[in-house]
Amino acid sequence: MVFSSIIFLFRFLPITLFVYYLAPKKMKNAVLVVCSLFFYSWGEVKYFPIMIASVLVDYIVSLTIEKNREKKGICKICMGISVLFNLGMLFFFKYTNFFVENINALTGAHLSGIHLTLPLGISFYTFQTLSYTIDVYRGKTKAERNIVNFAAFVTLFPQLIAGPIVKYTDISRELRERKINFSQINEGITLFIFGLGKKVLIANNIGSLWDQVQELGFSNISTPLAWLGILAYSFQIYFDFSGYSLMAIGMGKMLGFEFPQNFNYPYIAKSMTEFWRRWHITLSSWFREYVYIPLGGNRVSKPRMYFNIFIVWAATGFWHGASWNFVLWGLFFFVFLVIEKTFLLKYLEKSHVLSHVYVCFFLVLSWALFAITDFSQLGIFLQKLFSFTSGTDWLYYLRNYFITFLIAIFCSVPLVEKWYGKVKKKTAVNLLILAVILIVSVAYLVDATYNPFLYFRF
Amino acid sequence: MKKILKFPLIWLFFLFLFGYMIFDVSQYNKTFSELENRELAQRPTFTLSSFYNNKFSPKYESYINDQFVLRDQWITLKSLSESLLGKIENNGIMYGENGYMFQHYTSADMERIETNTRFVNEFIEMYPDLNVCMGIIPNSYMVYPEKVPLGAGQVDQAALTQQIYSNLHPSVQTLDFLAPLQEKKDEYIFYRTDHHWTTLGAYYGYSFFCSSKGWGPVSLDAIDKTVVSDFYGTYFSKTKAHNAVADTLTYYHIPVTQVLVDGTEKNGLYDLEKFQQRDKYAAFLWGNNGITVIKSENNLRKEEGKTSRILVIKDSYGNSFSPFLTYQYDEVYVVDLRSIPVKMSEFLAENSFDDVLILYNFMNFSSDTNLAKLRY
Repeated sequence: MVFSSIIFLFRFLPITLFVYYLAPKKMKNAVLVVCSLFFYSWGEVKYFPIMIASVLVDYIVSLTIEKNREKKGICKICMGISVLFNLGMLFFFKYTNFFVENINALTGAHLSGIHLTLPLGISFYTFQTLSYTIDVYRGKTKAERNIVNFAAFVTLFPQLIAGPIVKYTDISRELRERKINFSQINEGITLFIFGLGKKVLIANNIGSLWDQVQELGFSNISTPLAWLGILAYSFQIYFDFSGYSLMAIGMGKMLGFEFPQNFNYPYIAKSMTEFWRRWHITLSSWFREYVYIPLGGNRVSKPRMYFNIFIVWAATGFWHGASWNFVLWGLFFFVFLVIEKTFLLKYLEKSHVLSHVYVCFFLVLSWALFAITDFSQLGIFLQKLFSFTSGTDWLYYLRNYFITFLIAIFCSVPLVEKWYGKVKKKTAVNLLILAVILIVSVAYLVDATYNPFLYFRF
Repeated sequence: MKKILKFPLIWLFFLFLFGYMIFDVSQYNKTFSELENRELAQRPTFTLSSFYNNKFSPKYESYINDQFVLRDQWITLKSLSESLLGKIENNGIMYGENGYMFQHYTSADMERIETNTRFVNEFIEMYPDLNVCMGIIPNSYMVYPEKVPLGAGQVDQAALTQQIYSNLHPSVQTLDFLAPLQEKKDEYIFYRTDHHWTTLGAYYGYSFFCSSKGWGPVSLDAIDKTVVSDFYGTYFSKTKAHNAVADTLTYYHIPVTQVLVDGTEKNGLYDLEKFQQRDKYAAFLWGNNGITVIKSENNLRKEEGKTSRILVIKDSYGNSFSPFLTYQYDEVYVVDLRSIPVKMSEFLAENSFDDVLILYNFMNFSSDTNLAKLRY
């Protein structure tokens, strides 16, 4: 189930919240587990056992680690099991076909791939459970004894399928004991509605420009339209992803949890280094904490440090998708981060205009690497961007999307927060804004299922 | 509990979600949407196996979506919001000048065009004795390019039609409708809110067909007509533009002696009830039926002791067109390949024709998958 659907908004969410609020304190986590498992199984029943296995493996492994603290061997074996299980599942479901295809291409073999749809959110929850066991292993946190609490952590529906990546230590206290108060719920609803609006009103809307550009075919478009298209995609991916995260954070608050922030106006960054402190924060901090620092971080020789950074960014890229373009996308950032680390950063921080131009320009390019999986198509597209092809097609699309672009730009900078901070003091105005966003979002969701059957009349 | 009153957002939000859910659940299910012109999904029956096979959940979701209370109004709200965002397109339909709507049509399915052209050629080779004529009718944006928004990048149907014609078997006579229609563009020959040509447009198409044969068409002044107002067509159904200008629809009282639709005798050429409903164009020839036979005494070229016949193989553009042919033929047979109840070969073995006219609008010729039935 996705958040941006009628069935979620007008069935799952109200019923879940109703039961959750009415349930006695001791039962709340159990309610969450049941509802979340239902949420997860909807349309993907076959992956229900995988979710159960995920819960059981890390629950048992972590308890075993804790009970055998002094026996290093057992701890290491347990840690190994968790790593093997979590990464193994991730690799099996997400990357098997990628490796099969590449092995076939390299050796001329004819191995056949697997025909499985990717279990919903597997990239996210494997990282969450893994971080839990690692933290227990490191002694950073105590193992959770109550299996219901632990299951609630793993399956919690708000962040299950698209983040933020919530570590156990982020919410361990709330899992055991949480007070739900009205102002937290109030804030949660506000964030949820903003998230919904970001996803449905901005991301989907501007994303259709990119869809149309793809439909036209990269070889058939003019250079201005190519730029408009990739700009639209840049906004789409930000609003889609951050909108989803915001909905998750909002629902977390409605349930009494405080999830970590995941996006902080990434497009206002003055350097790529800063961009990654503002973009998908929980993912980059996960990689820092569980990959970069264990590799030695920057407390090693220079070449080793660069090697560590290389590993982290190749992995970050690969995490985003089982295709070479994502690896390339990650390494693109590796190059920029190294350049910035060696000399560029201090100049960027001093500059007020050029640094933004630099970040925006190269970010937009990075999204081209991200969006276009096929390398020959990518080549055509990049050629369109940089060798001028004239045409009038962009006029039509600019005319159609001009206001949407303005709104997207406005909502990408802190100005929107400043403005909202002022107007929300008047309750009526605040309610009106939220009501409009919610209602218009619903209208777009209903329209997305609108399917007038005309062609049979043709 | 008093505290919650301090947080109007909380109770308004839950009132909205919860209240709307209950409102939604309490409504009776509709079976058909006139606006969408299709059956609406009904509640699927739950079985463990359908749930396990992931068949239940998508069906249930489409049921929820289709039956969502005030669905039409929500869709209108989205359309309004798109207009407020300054968009001149909604759900794939563009708003042109003077209230004209056009489908945003940036690429034609070249493979389908080739396949369909091949099917027509195979048909001609199968029946070398037939006198076949082929006409691809351009869609409205080709006739009114100046009303199409700048830079829309519409498919050049003129060039593609020429390409199709040049690939056709040389024995086929082709009809180039674009020029004669453009000549009459100042008249009301295409609907603004619908994808069809108007009856007047169909008449000019018919006149062009006649002149290609060297005959004079019937004069429209000679026939009584009725004008139906408030016609909002298929383009409107897609966009639901708040400022759409209604079309008018005209039908001519062409005298007939018999109309047979798939073997059933009908009262006249038009399903008059349909003129009262939303989908008014469906009144022509009672919609898209398999085999329609029109017999009349209108034939201007009447030869005593001989019954002349034409077979029209058509899409819905042919429905408003075919009745005019009664002034050139004693019997007009109209076949829609999408619903033809018998094999073409059986049909042609039983009936003989002086002329065969294959008549499709461009968008349909480049997408329809039923032309394969020409060979069966």
